[in-house]
Amino acid sequence: MDEEKLNILILDDEPIVVRRLKPALEKMGYQVETFTKSEDALARIEEKDFHIVITDLKMEGVDGMTFLTRVKERSPATEVIVITGFATMATTRESFQKGVFDFLAKPFKIAEMQQTVQRAAEKVRQGWARRD
Amino acid sequence: MLGSWRDNLKGWLRGGRSSSAARQEKLAELFSQFQRVLRLNNRVLDRIADMGTKLGGGYIFDRHYIETACAELSEMVYRMISALNAMSHNRYPELYDAFRAIDHQIQQELAGRVAIPHAEYVMPYDSLGADFVEVVGGKNANLSEVRNQVGLPTPDGFAVTTSAFQDWLEEGGLEEEIALVLARWQRGELSPEETARLVRERLLATPLPRRLEHALRAAAERLVRRLPPARRRLALRSSAVGEDGELSFAGQFRSLINLPPEEVPRGYREVVASLYSPEALVYRRDKGFSEQEVAMAVACQELIPARVSGVMYTQDPRDLQREAVLINAVWGLGGAVVGGEVLADQYLVARRAPYASLGVDIVRKSRRLVPRPQGGTEMVPVPEELQSASCLNPDQVRRLAQAGIMVEKHFKRPQDIEWAIDDRDRLYILQARPLNLGPRMAGLVKDISKVLESYPVIFRHRGSVAQEGIGAGRVFLVRDEADLERFPDQAVLVARHSSPRLARVMRRAAAVLTDLGSPTGHMATLAREYRVPAIVGTGVATRLLAPGQEVTVDARQNVVYAGLVKELTYYELGEESFAETYEYRLLRRVLRKIAPLNLIDASSPDFTPRACTTFHDITRFVHEKAVQELIHGDFSRLSQAGGARKRLQCGVPLELVLIDLGDGLEPEAVGPVVRPQQVASLPLRAFVEGLGRPGLWSTDSVPVDFKSFMSSLTRTFAFSLAGPRYLGQNLAVISRHYANVTLRLGYHFTMIDAYITAEANDNHAYFRFLGGVTDLRRRSRRASLLERILARNDFRVEVRGDLVVARIKKLAREQMEARMRLLGYLVAYTRQLDVKMTNDQEVARAVEEFQRLQEAAERGLDPAI
Repeated sequence: MDEEKLNILILDDEPIVVRRLKPALEKMGYQVETFTKSEDALARIEEKDFHIVITDLKMEGVDGMTFLTRVKERSPATEVIVITGFATMATTRESFQKGVFDFLAKPFKIAEMQQTVQRAAEKVRQGWARRD
Repeated sequence: MLGSWRDNLKGWLRGGRSSSAARQEKLAELFSQFQRVLRLNNRVLDRIADMGTKLGGGYIFDRHYIETACAELSEMVYRMISALNAMSHNRYPELYDAFRAIDHQIQQELAGRVAIPHAEYVMPYDSLGADFVEVVGGKNANLSEVRNQVGLPTPDGFAVTTSAFQDWLEEGGLEEEIALVLARWQRGELSPEETARLVRERLLATPLPRRLEHALRAAAERLVRRLPPARRRLALRSSAVGEDGELSFAGQFRSLINLPPEEVPRGYREVVASLYSPEALVYRRDKGFSEQEVAMAVACQELIPARVSGVMYTQDPRDLQREAVLINAVWGLGGAVVGGEVLADQYLVARRAPYASLGVDIVRKSRRLVPRPQGGTEMVPVPEELQSASCLNPDQVRRLAQAGIMVEKHFKRPQDIEWAIDDRDRLYILQARPLNLGPRMAGLVKDISKVLESYPVIFRHRGSVAQEGIGAGRVFLVRDEADLERFPDQAVLVARHSSPRLARVMRRAAAVLTDLGSPTGHMATLAREYRVPAIVGTGVATRLLAPGQEVTVDARQNVVYAGLVKELTYYELGEESFAETYEYRLLRRVLRKIAPLNLIDASSPDFTPRACTTFHDITRFVHEKAVQELIHGDFSRLSQAGGARKRLQCGVPLELVLIDLGDGLEPEAVGPVVRPQQVASLPLRAFVEGLGRPGLWSTDSVPVDFKSFMSSLTRTFAFSLAGPRYLGQNLAVISRHYANVTLRLGYHFTMIDAYITAEANDNHAYFRFLGGVTDLRRRSRRASLLERILARNDFRVEVRGDLVVARIKKLAREQMEARMRLLGYLVAYTRQLDVKMTNDQEVARAVEEFQRLQEAAERGLDPAI
């Protein structure tokens, strides 16, 4: 992984979400790839490990839960942030069991997401420090 | 919050003190409906405010949010109507009709059909904005936005909507015919010219639907009647959907200049026909536009008799590194410069205030375009002495640049603007559309995050973004009205409080920063309307920023940088603006059916269910009528029959009707009139003690200035200034531990709901105040006064515009009683204050005065407290 810039993958089937998140995170110095179809995102994570993955939980096609499970299987060090429109306690609990870093309910403040990503990024960097 | 009265009612019913248990049960049922109305009312207003803040750009939301929020809101409003009708023997069935009409429009919007009220064919500019772009086209939408939100003069006018276009096509049976012709063209069987001719002939041979013809004539007549007789000439311009947006379609469609009003229907058909000009057909094909997407709206405007006109690019596209506005100007009408038929004077101006001249190029202008007396336009020679003279003087150049930058700031894109200046030196914006430099602008900045690291941050993540965007300029500290007078163009406005009085200069500000304030306040709403980047509640702005210091406000990332971060301002101009997204427009459109409050004066004959055109209106109407039902309806009759209804006499000019649900009065209070010492209800007793303290009822006559007096008169408002009595609209429903007090002070109700027992954990008090007479600024001064006093007394206070909601709970009985007395003082003290508070110093002074009076009153009551 590139030590300079952290990579982020965003998956949400609502184009507005990825379109607005991308520039907000790029401005903070992250390299951002976005997807609105879970199949495409799934294919992408088979090619490349991301430092941080942001995904919606409820989508058409591949379920968000399936997607994040696969992400964690392939790359346990990836921090996953979940966004969702309607979080139930059950899904929240389930996703935390899968090792999700944090949870944001839509609609959320851009600043909240930036801060969450920043915390996730710190954790990723701490992971590197431990390895070194 | 409002639940604990139930226990009282149950207890009261079990006790069976009154003669008829059935009657009591009915009373309890009615009061419970009333409580339901109150609860729903609060939740509806919360939700509306919440949806409004989402327009500021600080949040990410999707369609699903808009749908869910609307569905919830719609359900709450429906339940409010049901509760009112349950209280009133179904007295307001028309409310369901009003509800259905509004709800239907919202559903239409959500289904992707822009709901214009009654499928209108024409819409006046004053009622339009950018969110109507799908029905009025880009030109109309942008221009009305410039007129109504940026606040710059534009020609008066109206839009002919795409509904008009569609109905014409449909009723004339044209849709299929045109589709057939276009199909032949697409198969290569017809040339663009032949295609255009066939479609045009067909269109011009088809009469307009009678209703449309009538609407066009009537709207044109109304428009010219607003104009001086010598200026009753009109211009018709295309405003196709998609035009003046990402794709400019520049010069593809027909404009008709200098028409008398009666020519508008004919001219309309000409302009629409130009939708199928050979150039337009080819352009659409090349740009991948589907012919099904094509819809034409038309702009009908007053013709500005231009002495000078021209085009302005707010960023010189020839050299992006040089920050300059480029202005072209010619004598007469502007058609010539747009069409490139004549040479134009050229002016280069700095993009930042004070808009210094960077260069002037005066050419010889031998001809100019003028209106012909018999209609249309003609080229005529320019008088010799003007031919080599500059079309614009330095002041006009500066004003143009200033206006251009204001428009650019609003749309967050460099602009291509057509403008005119008339004989009386008035500047008009005729058209504004994005100048497409997007990719080139963004390309100027290589790696924005790296660039940003090199600039010193003054503060970051303080307060809330009320309106996103980037603004750079010099810090200007606003402390009082006099400072506002001196506010320099494109400065960064820094103030301690967020206040709607800042609205006066806000549109000229590069950005707004305040120490205090919330994103749901009035000022935040205005910042969103004007799209001025704003961060409120930073806590530190006035302390950390020095007057005159140059700063860049990033109200996207919520960061304030020292110095001018040029890259960020460029970067932003290349980025997609939130306001250009479909979700933004959709939310703004549904909010039009939800948030505006048109029903203000409850004593007006227009205060009817029929007049309700938004959910806010319905909410307001239901709340008002629910209180009236309680006071005059069954509830009142039943309580009277049961002897539970009394009148309180407490020595102040305020008549309070008491309805005792049980043990709220001392046993000896048997007559119709009750004295304060006979009140046993703990919360009410304390409140009345506060209300009756001498010294807090201001007895001096309030000087009402002429303006507020007039505004009172025009809204047929009679009693807030009158003083001595409040029309019997004040009501307290009480039990031993509970009181719900509704006071009619001014236009709106002040509501207090409190429950006090020996058990601190169960105790609560809730205070709600909304609005008043006089203008917005004064109203929110009163709101700000209440906020400060209540917060000082440990209430948790939320202010949304002029709605103040304060809550306190779980204090011991004595402390709760002290808070109820405070509310009594406050009601006594503030009832006329908004007409008195003519400036912000008055607020601070009043807070101090109130505190003195409060302390004195409390000492008089019990020196130990």
